[in-house]
Amino acid sequence: MSSRMEAEEIFKGLSEAVIAYDEDKSVEFAKAALENDVDPTDAILKGLAHGMEKVGELFDKQEYFVPEMLACADALNAAVEILKPHLKIRSEGPQVKVVIGTVEGDIHEIGKNLVRIMFDAAGWEVYDLGGNVKLERFLEEQQKTGADVVALSALMTTSMAAIPEIIKMIKSAEPRVTVMVGGAPLSWELARKYGADGYSPNCGTAVNDTLEAIRRVREGHGSWER
Amino acid sequence: MTVTDRAMKLLKGETIDRIPLFPFILGFCAKNAGYPIATIYQDASKSFELQTFTLEQYSFDWGPLYGYASYGTWEFGGEIKMPESNYEQAPFHTRFPVNVEEDVDQLQLPDPAKAGVLPIAMEFSKLQASNQRPISIICGGNFSIAGNICPVETLCRWMLKKPELVHRIMKMATDHIVDVVRYWCEAFGAAQVIPQMWEPLAANIIISPKQFERFVLPYLVESSKKILAMGVQHILYHICGDQNKNLPMWTQVPTGNPGLCSFGIDIDLSVAIEYLGENNVIIGNIDPIALLSETPDTIYNLCKTAIEKGKSAPRGFMLSSGCEVPPEAPPYNVYIMQKAIKDSMASG
Ligand code: B12
Repeated sequence: MSSRMEAEEIFKGLSEAVIAYDEDKSVEFAKAALENDVDPTDAILKGLAHGMEKVGELFDKQEYFVPEMLACADALNAAVEILKPHLKIRSEGPQVKVVIGTVEGDIHEIGKNLVRIMFDAAGWEVYDLGGNVKLERFLEEQQKTGADVVALSALMTTSMAAIPEIIKMIKSAEPRVTVMVGGAPLSWELARKYGADGYSPNCGTAVNDTLEAIRRVREGHGSWER
Repeated sequence: MTVTDRAMKLLKGETIDRIPLFPFILGFCAKNAGYPIATIYQDASKSFELQTFTLEQYSFDWGPLYGYASYGTWEFGGEIKMPESNYEQAPFHTRFPVNVEEDVDQLQLPDPAKAGVLPIAMEFSKLQASNQRPISIICGGNFSIAGNICPVETLCRWMLKKPELVHRIMKMATDHIVDVVRYWCEAFGAAQVIPQMWEPLAANIIISPKQFERFVLPYLVESSKKILAMGVQHILYHICGDQNKNLPMWTQVPTGNPGLCSFGIDIDLSVAIEYLGENNVIIGNIDPIALLSETPDTIYNLCKTAIEKGKSAPRGFMLSSGCEVPPEAPPYNVYIMQKAIKDSMASG
């Protein structure tokens, strides 16, 4: 793209490219961002992440399904690859480090991966342990990375029973770490019962609910109400 | 009436004394008799024996059954692991046969006599035959096998970017289902075999109804037609997860006369009956999580409601859990299903 473009136009282009899962277009607008001296961080947050937020909403409304979600994430990632080398370290905006995984005994990874995509899109640093993750691995990885959040996914009642064990391990070693839980059989009630700091019913709300939970933990509320 | 009589009479359209209770209970049977869950999947004769105990204890009217949802990975050359720890409920895949495009070229149809878990499944079916139980083979559904050949997320990406690869894998899965059922029919006689296909991956939380129509429906129709042409009388489809938007299309899948369709909690039994009741025995749909964590009263009421709805199914109804009974479910909760059936008969 040769003509000068306004930042707003670029944000809009990036956001639309993500929603339309158009990788070519997202790459084109990412390049345009660099050519037009748009801050790469803004391009990610106000453009790409903004688009991905809309995608999360479309998924929740069953207008988009897993194939579209993944393709949107691919379009986002392709643009991020171009912007990344030009990122200036910035302190504003929440810098969150998350360890995420599906708990032991459980290979249901689709939902966890969608949540991961939303965390990625928010610009967070994500350590994905995959599926069927042994209980102690979560704390190990948190301690290795200094993550602020550990996010646990479970889709089965058998594996769900591992969650309170994992939370106990984390909280006794690292009480200031925020633990998020999710997955179809979980609920606000169960999450609270298990001692988690937060829960989110779907990937569209996961980022905000996690930020809320982090805030609750930092402000020192042991328990949380909804 | 013996265990199988009741369900078989229902399939023939004859009058029966009460609603049959259909088993979707595997790991529970091992725990119930003091064995590790893996026994159910690893050892055909022990699995048959342990299931028989539990089925008798709770007066189930079908089974034992052999199968698991991650079927297809091992048969096509990948690896699975049997459940071991306290938190594991069923076999799971550790390596998929297909990860990248080039792997699709290497795919070969498995030999139903030798591949993966099929020898164990065959040994199990021989026990079904010698004990006069319905002979089943649980393999499928087509899209769920495809998602066990190749990670479902890769399939999802290819749906949009390389649809021909999805079609090739679906065709493989479909041919494999037909091969396996043919092998079972040769061993036991087609009229004796009631194949079961579980199709969780086609749920609308994963793929859209349009994707179902394009990538799944034609293959379901193809294998079903071929299976029925062998002389098989009934096919059971477990229409797992939220498939409300697929239901109108499921009516195009031939299932036999009658077929059997089972449902989880995401599909209301009245809706299931409306779409599929005319040609199928309807099976369902007590919430497995409720079985694990709710009170007996709550379960009883869920059963009562299900039975009430099931009564209007023209080809009949069997009460069942909506998906596998959690292995840790309190035994009394499992018993309540049979109690609700008996009470419903007493009250008319
Ligand atoms: C797809 C599927 C499978 C696939 C998994 C493929 C894969 N790679 O993931 C296969 C076929 C392999 C499979 C296998 C089995 N399955 Co299964 N499966 C499903 C199904 C149909 C959909 C799950 C799914 O992917 N949903 C789509 C995603 C997008 O939704 P989600 O996971 O809920 O995630 C969303 C939210 O929950 C949230 N979220 C998720 N994680 C997290 C984490 C955090 C931190 C946060 C904040 C949010 C969050 O955000 C996500 C996006 O919005 C469900 C039915 C159902 N209704 O859920 C059964 C289901 C989960 N399976 C079930 C069972 C029983 C099994 C088997 C044991 C069957 C068997 N006997 O073999 C095996 C288990 C294998 C194993 N050891 O793990 C049962 C579990 C019952 C129970 N409660 O215990 C279910 C619920 C079916 C039922 N109705 O009973 N299954």
